[in-house]
Amino acid sequence: MNVRFVLNGRPAAVDAPPSSRLLDVLRGALGLTGTKEGCGEGECGSCTVLLDGAPVNACLVLFGQVEGRAVTTVEGLGDPEHLSPLQEAFVKEGGAQCGICTPGFLVSAEALLAAIPQPGETDIREALAGNLCRCTGYQRIVEAVRAAAKERTSREPG
Amino acid sequence: MSLAELPLHAFERPASLAEACATLSRRAGKGEETVLVAGGTDWIVSQRLAPLSLGGELPLVLDVSRVPELLGVKIAGERAVIGAAATYLEVRHHAVLTRRVPMLTAMARDVGAVQIQARGTLGGNLATASPAADGSAALMALDADVVLASVLGERRVPIGQWFTGYRRTARAADEILVRVEFTLPKSGAHQLWRKVGTRAAQSISKVALAAVGEYERGRCVRVGLGMGSVAPVTVALPTVRALAVSPGPLAVPDDQLDAAVQRDIAPIDDVRSTAAYRAHVASTLVRGFFRTLRPVSNAG
Repeated sequence: MNVRFVLNGRPAAVDAPPSSRLLDVLRGALGLTGTKEGCGEGECGSCTVLLDGAPVNACLVLFGQVEGRAVTTVEGLGDPEHLSPLQEAFVKEGGAQCGICTPGFLVSAEALLAAIPQPGETDIREALAGNLCRCTGYQRIVEAVRAAAKERTSREPG
Repeated sequence: MSLAELPLHAFERPASLAEACATLSRRAGKGEETVLVAGGTDWIVSQRLAPLSLGGELPLVLDVSRVPELLGVKIAGERAVIGAAATYLEVRHHAVLTRRVPMLTAMARDVGAVQIQARGTLGGNLATASPAADGSAALMALDADVVLASVLGERRVPIGQWFTGYRRTARAADEILVRVEFTLPKSGAHQLWRKVGTRAAQSISKVALAAVGEYERGRCVRVGLGMGSVAPVTVALPTVRALAVSPGPLAVPDDQLDAAVQRDIAPIDDVRSTAAYRAHVASTLVRGFFRTLRPVSNAG
């Protein structure tokens, strides 16, 4: 089945079985391996992508369900030459260690900052509660999100 | 087949409720199985745990996540109407529900984490009928009606008759869950949502209590309760409800209340908790709610 949707801001049409997981189509047919598979059952958040702006686990979305919708992966946030403020903050604040969970955290944090530009600590921890990290102890990640929020605000004119 | 791949089910996305009903009717008539998928947070995981269907045809997957008749939250007078495919996130952020049914929106905030809330639905929670379902406990406390549709028309099932056994419901194979409806609690009602689990997010409840106590002229006239993870189905705690109205929350001694709770539940030991712990927590939660029903400021 040819599924048409918007991928990282651009129209896409992909011929893949509609009952495959969005995660497998992203990583396989589309070669977008930034999205990671951790648990494969919606617990760890490593495969978090945005579906019409809301963070979802790509392991729990059937590919046919994204027809006509907008999907944003970590590749849509920035690239190595043009990191997003969040990605820069994760680098600067030590928000990434082994890195397997990092794309999921970035995507969840992106959704948070879009909804709440100046989140408090509780907002950040709740927004990231569906993403597990076994390295950092989370503190550096929370600090990175806070730093990115500050940076984004200071960049805005006026 | 790679373990990363689900078995390749046929997949259809009906554009309307009528189309979904027609497909269900046609297939049910031929004895063919159809799986209705909305958020997929339960079904897709179950496929991963047992990915190979041994023999026979794979069921048709019907994506109902965007069937228009199943979408949205509406308030009509004192009635709330929640589409079966409305997500927990929509419920959580709904202004009227937040004001009038904080117990329900607190539940929606406690389910999974935001990634699950953005996909999971109350319809799915009712349809999969897990005894640990938080949404089902909340809807039980609200004495909601479950509305089903088929090619024959609509059918309304009181939630008290919805769960017919462990993971079994009153839905027939040719029916689709369209919406749930309930009357908004009276203003000033005492409401409680308490979920006891291993952490604040992403945990399946060891015990959950949803409760509403409504008053008229200072007298408790209705108590709605729903409890999860303490029996093969979500329970309404009927003996406890009756005590709250007569003799009334002020007049029930704790030991009588505890006995009523234990009569209404049937907890077991499983991977998440023990029967003894669940029995203890169930009594503690109900006592806690009854204390909020007692007008302490007027009592002394």
